[in-house]
Amino acid sequence: MARRELLARIILGLIVIGVPLAVLGYQYGLRPATSSTRIVDVDLRVPEDGGFAPDAITVLAGEPVTLRFSALDVTHGVAIGPGLDVDLGPVDPGQVKAITLTFDHPGTYTYYCTTWCSDDHWRMRGTIQVIDPANPAFVPTTAPDPVIAALIAEGVDIDAAHGSTDAHDADQPLVFARPLSAARGAALLPDTTIPAEVSDPAWRRTHTPAQALDLLADANPGAAQVDVLDVIAHLWTAGTDPGSLADAQALYDQNCAACHGQYGNGDGPAADTTAEQPVAFADPAYLFGMRGDVLYAKIRRGGMGTGMPNFGTLLTPDETWALVQYLWTLPVADLDTD
Amino acid sequence: MLNEGRIDLLERAPLLKRLLKARAFQPAMMLATLLVFTLAILAGIAGTPAGSRNFGIVFVWIVWWALLIVVLVPFFGRLWCTICPIPAPGEWLQRRAIVRRGAARLWTRGLRWPRRLKNMWLQNFGFLAVALFSTIILTRPGVSAWLLLSFLLAGVLLSALYKNRVFCRYVCPVGGFIGLYSLVSPVELRVADPNVCADHKTKDCITGNEFGYGCPWMVFPGSLTRNAYCGLCFECLKTCPKNNIVLNLRPFGSDLTVAKERRLDEAYKAFIMLGCALLYSAVLLGPWGWLKDWANMDTLPHWALYAASFLSANLVLLPGLFGLSVWIGRSASGSGQPLRRLFVDYAYTLIPLGLAAWIAFSTGFVLVNGSYALTVLSDPFGWGWDLFGTAGMHWTPLGATIIPFLQVGVLTAGLMAALNTAYKIARQHGIPHRAAFVEALPVSGFALVVTVGFLRLYLG
Repeated sequence: MARRELLARIILGLIVIGVPLAVLGYQYGLRPATSSTRIVDVDLRVPEDGGFAPDAITVLAGEPVTLRFSALDVTHGVAIGPGLDVDLGPVDPGQVKAITLTFDHPGTYTYYCTTWCSDDHWRMRGTIQVIDPANPAFVPTTAPDPVIAALIAEGVDIDAAHGSTDAHDADQPLVFARPLSAARGAALLPDTTIPAEVSDPAWRRTHTPAQALDLLADANPGAAQVDVLDVIAHLWTAGTDPGSLADAQALYDQNCAACHGQYGNGDGPAADTTAEQPVAFADPAYLFGMRGDVLYAKIRRGGMGTGMPNFGTLLTPDETWALVQYLWTLPVADLDTD
Repeated sequence: MLNEGRIDLLERAPLLKRLLKARAFQPAMMLATLLVFTLAILAGIAGTPAGSRNFGIVFVWIVWWALLIVVLVPFFGRLWCTICPIPAPGEWLQRRAIVRRGAARLWTRGLRWPRRLKNMWLQNFGFLAVALFSTIILTRPGVSAWLLLSFLLAGVLLSALYKNRVFCRYVCPVGGFIGLYSLVSPVELRVADPNVCADHKTKDCITGNEFGYGCPWMVFPGSLTRNAYCGLCFECLKTCPKNNIVLNLRPFGSDLTVAKERRLDEAYKAFIMLGCALLYSAVLLGPWGWLKDWANMDTLPHWALYAASFLSANLVLLPGLFGLSVWIGRSASGSGQPLRRLFVDYAYTLIPLGLAAWIAFSTGFVLVNGSYALTVLSDPFGWGWDLFGTAGMHWTPLGATIIPFLQVGVLTAGLMAALNTAYKIARQHGIPHRAAFVEALPVSGFALVVTVGFLRLYLG
């Protein structure tokens, strides 16, 4: 056989057999074997087509692991929580985004989609179970959330229809005659008698603004209700760190706006897909009947039967409180961050 | 006069002649394209299902397609067939050799290709079938890969059953339109003197000799008057002992007025290509989202309706309207030619127009989507590789401001060529200038309306 013919046949063999073997061997054999970390490939599809695959990963504490997320259909977003501060941002179709993490302690984390990818977007979650290499069979249990535990102990039904101001003093029906203004409330503060409990941030977390209104009205008998409402708007939104408020707004935009609307009007693009109409935080009548700890509990545990997902596996308690704080700003006209 | 006004490139460039005569030239090119083809199939099957990030989709349906329709076919005719990898494995198996001149006896059952299939009809229906599913094939790497693989397997199977390149000549849906549009190209393979061929007893270009094989495309170079079925494999250049083969540079569209070989199957190929260009433009570039959904098989009834409309438009509506314009021209001019002959003859006026439409469509498509090529070059399979540092490049549409001008220019040139061809064809019917003008006028009007339709789609 002539040399050129032999060479051509070798090249043909390399192309037809060698190239596929080399490509697949590198991707599935050599690449993982030579990587300094364990590599886990996670495919992203809309939840209707399977969501994350795999949707459960087990890693050892102290073991570096590289998570590679590939979007296969539409643009998704990937974040991992709670408390890891990992947000890979949007992942376009065909794009691969990777991150290498080392989990120090056993526990459970959640990776979740942050882009409204489909009607069932909120179902798009996966869990990372971090186990102790010395005791792999041990699965740590999550301690009950003290805020939620306290509400249950108090007998508060988290799933009841809150947001009602029925408990408010019937002699003074609640009327929002003008948009709430925190700045006007701050200006009125020197001339207003603030009952001690209303001044206490811990009390404000466990009581509704409507309850504060009753106390303030009793303490300031000549004050107009519209002014007292502004004082309450100031009290419930004062002292918020602008940085954490901005972070909370980002969390809201990422996780809540699709249903509750960008401005909290309950009119997000996915509002029609939920079991119940999403509540409108921008409506002061709703928020004046809400306790901060109940809002916290609803965010972390989800709303039973309403379509409201739980975010307790995604967000830290601090992030959740920051989110609650952000919600209070939505009905206050002069705190509108947009 | 044959070869009058032509420039023989082989005479002008002896190095080119040496290259084309070398037995290793074509296999080397085929091996190179086979490598790309293998990667495309592998990426389609094993890579990301996201088309815009898959080498198989981007390099086949954007890079290769644009190269083929914007550069190779208009300027070099069937040059793609010279280097196409699809028939290569079958042909190499048949010859039991890649580079060297293999055994005289080919490894094939040597069956006779059915006489009734010795035409373009299989290619016409094959192209329509691919076109019907094009929105799926063009966006789903897996489907695209299996289609390419099926072409390759069909090539191998047909080579095992039949002599020569039956797949290329009678089956390949791409080869059909390349052949038709290569009638426009300014490059042709011909013989210097047909009398030399006529007097040559052994006809080595048909039978083959120690330097090469008999024409795999089953064409006798001595009687070659059009590009349609010459696959530019250059075997005849290698085998001709009389040094009678020339590779000419010639005016664009020279073959369009070659009257003696016009056929209904080719005429229909012209309609199908023009119709598909029009429908592709409407589906992929038009403002009708529902039409795209239908083509994309959102529901079976929608797709069935789309398929019925698509086939009717290509096989009935467009030829029907064209036939009507031919009939009007015939009646008005009183030329007395048979209607069928006029219908077939004038269909060749749509070849430059169809080619121009495909160039216009593809130019916009490739400039808008071409940047994906850089991304997939670094990450061909969508696995997070970054071979050349371009994997993270964002989609960057190019030439948004010049695309409409390019499209208008190309379509105008195509229309001018169509009108010119129509008049020349009319004069071939042996009628005076005025009658020829009248006979060609309705067909010219048809071409004008179609061009306006394209401009509406491209310019909004």
